[in-house]
Amino acid sequence: MKKNNRNKDITVKSELSVKVQDNNILLNLLPIFSVLLGLLLSSIMMMLLDHNPLIVYSNMLNYAFRDIYNIADIFAKATPLILTGLAFGFAFRASLFNIGAQGQFYIGAVLAVGFALKLGSFPMVLALFICFTMSLLGGSIWAAFIGYVKARFNASEFLVSMMLTYVAIAVMNFLLGGLLKEAKGEYPQTDVIPESGWLPSLIPHTRLHWGFIFALLVALVAYLILWKTSLGYKIRMVGFNRDAARYAGVNVEKIYIIVFFISGAFAGIAGFTEINGMQHMLIEGFNPMIGAEGIGIAILGNAHPLGIVISALLFGALKVGGNLVVQTSRIPASIIGIMEGFVILSVILSYFIRDKLIVLRSKKKLVEQEEHRL
Amino acid sequence: MNIITGLFVATIRMSTPLMLGALGEVFAERTGVMNIAIEGIFLMGAWGGFVGAYLTGKLWVGFLFAILVGIFCGAIYGYFTIKLKQHQIVTGVAINILTLGLGLFLYQMLFGIPLLPLTVEPLKDISIPFLSDIPIIGRALFSQNSLTYLAVVLIAVGYWILFKTPLGLIIRSTGENPEAVDVAGINVERIRFLAVLGSSALDGLAGAFYSIGFLGLYTNDIIGGRGWIAFAICFLGNWDPLGILIGSLIFGFAEGLSVVLLTSNFKLIPNEFLIALPYILTIVATIARRKFNVPAFLGKPYIKERS
Repeated sequence: MKKNNRNKDITVKSELSVKVQDNNILLNLLPIFSVLLGLLLSSIMMMLLDHNPLIVYSNMLNYAFRDIYNIADIFAKATPLILTGLAFGFAFRASLFNIGAQGQFYIGAVLAVGFALKLGSFPMVLALFICFTMSLLGGSIWAAFIGYVKARFNASEFLVSMMLTYVAIAVMNFLLGGLLKEAKGEYPQTDVIPESGWLPSLIPHTRLHWGFIFALLVALVAYLILWKTSLGYKIRMVGFNRDAARYAGVNVEKIYIIVFFISGAFAGIAGFTEINGMQHMLIEGFNPMIGAEGIGIAILGNAHPLGIVISALLFGALKVGGNLVVQTSRIPASIIGIMEGFVILSVILSYFIRDKLIVLRSKKKLVEQEEHRL
Repeated sequence: MNIITGLFVATIRMSTPLMLGALGEVFAERTGVMNIAIEGIFLMGAWGGFVGAYLTGKLWVGFLFAILVGIFCGAIYGYFTIKLKQHQIVTGVAINILTLGLGLFLYQMLFGIPLLPLTVEPLKDISIPFLSDIPIIGRALFSQNSLTYLAVVLIAVGYWILFKTPLGLIIRSTGENPEAVDVAGINVERIRFLAVLGSSALDGLAGAFYSIGFLGLYTNDIIGGRGWIAFAICFLGNWDPLGILIGSLIFGFAEGLSVVLLTSNFKLIPNEFLIALPYILTIVATIARRKFNVPAFLGKPYIKERS
C-alpha cells in the first residue's frame, strides 16, 4: 500500500512538472540565481580575509577572459570535469551513486600513461587509440565491479565506490613508486610521455586539445544512450522506480552493472584526456578534487548532459580565473573549493524553491480550472 | 613495548573516533536520516579542535569548540535534508565538498601558510595504576587517553538509551514508522533534527580526536575517508551500539596494523597496500554482510499527509 502511494506521488509530480514547463522563465533562471547566491556566500569568506569581493570577482573575470590562451584554458579545464560530471550524472539517472569517479579517473590515467610510455614508436593515431581504449576499459571495469557487488550482494554502491577510490589512490602511488617511476628515480611521477601519445592541440599556442571535442562527443553519446535507446529507457525506469521496473520485466541487476560500466568509462576517459592532452605525465596526487567537482557539476547541471557541459565550463572559468587571482594576490587557493561548495549548496536550495514554485503554480491552475467550471 | 602490545594499543586508539562517529550515525539513522555529511564534519571537527586548543592553549576548549562546529555543520545538513526535504546523499556530498575547501581556508585565514605545520601538545594517556601493568593487554585497555574511555562509556549509555528507555523507543520508531510517531503527537522532524545534531556533535568530537587527541596538528587530509569508514561501521554493526563496538575494534585493528607495520622495518608488504587495508576491509565487509536490519524509512523524508 505504501509503495502504491509513493508511485502515485511520483506520477503526480511528473505530471505537474510537465504542465508548468511552458511558462517558466523564472524556473529557468533559478540555476543562475543559485550560482550568484553561491558566489555571494563565498564573498563573505573573502571579506573575513579583508579582501574586497568585488575586486576579487572582477579580477577573476578579467583574468579568465584576458586573452585567447586563458579562454582556451577554460575549455581545457572543463574537459575532464565534463567527463567526471557525466560519470556521476549518468549513474544518478538510474538512482545509483557512483561517487568514486576520482578512483576510476586515476585508473584511467595510470593505464593511459603506462601505454603512452611504451608506445613511443607507434604512429600517433594508433598510440592515442590504444591509450583511449585502455583508459576507457580500465575505468569501466573498475566501476563495473561496484555494479556487480551491488547486483549480486546488494552491497551499498555508495560505500563501495567511495572506498575503491582510496584503493585506486594506493594502486597509483604503488605504481608510481616502482613500475612507472621516472628514470631519474627522484620524485613519485612518471617520465614525460613520447610525443606520439600527445593529443593534438585544438587552437595553436594554447593548452586546449582535442580531448575537449571527445568530451563533447561523450556527452552526446550519454544523451543518446539515455533518451534515444531502449537501454536508456530501462536505465531511467530503474532510476524512477526500481520495483516498478522489475515488475515490468527489466533485469534491474543487469542494469546496475551496465550503468556502472558506462559511468566508469566516462571517468576513465577523463584520465586519458588529462594525461594525453594536458599533463603528458602522471604526478602523484594530481587533480585530487576532480571526482568531487564532477558530482557538484552533475548536481548543478541537473544530471543532464547539456547541463553538465555548461556547468563544467562555469567551473572551468572559476578555476582559471580563481587560479590567477590566487597567484597574484594573497587569497588562499582553497577559496576556489569554497566557491564550488557554496554554489552546489545553493543549487540544492534552488531545487527546493523550484519544487515549491511548481506546486504553487499547479495549485493556482487547479483553482482557476475549478472556478472556470463553476 | 613489544610489537604485540604496540598493536593492541594502536588498535584501541584508532578505534576511538570510529566508535564515536559510528555511534552518532546509529542514532541519526535509527530516526531515518543518514548523516552523509559525516566525513566533512569529522574534518571540521579536526579543524575546530586544533584551532580551539592552539588559540587558548587548553585542550578542553578545543574539544568543546569541535563539538560546537560539528553541531553547526549538522544543523545546516539537517535543515536541508529534514526541513527542506532535499536528497540526503546529494546534500551530504555537497557539504563534504564545501568543508574540504573550508577546512584549509579557515586554517590559512588564522595561521597563514606556516612553513612547518603548527603543533599542540596532544591529549595525554591516563594510566590506571596496577591494571595498566597487566602484560600484553594492560597498556591497551588501561593506558589510553580520556576520550577513549569516554567513547566506551558512551557506547554503553547509547545502548541503554536506544533499547531500554522510552526515548530510545521513540528514536527507533521514528525510523521504522514515522506516521505512528506523528499520530502519537510527537514531532517527527524535531526528533530527526535533534538526532542529527547529536550525531554531528559526536562526529565533531571524533574529528578532534585526530587533530588534538593524538597527532597534535591539523592537515587537510587528516581524516582521509575515516568518516566514511565510521559510516560503514554503522551499517556493518547493524545499527546496534554493540555491533559498532565490535566493528570499530576490527577497523581499529586494521588501521593499527598498518601503522605498526609502517613504522617497523617490516618490508614484505608494500606500504601502499597497508594504507589501503582499512578501505579494502570495508569493501569486503560490505559485500560479506548480507542480513541487514535497515530502518524502514532510512533516507526518506517524512511528508505529513495532507487532505
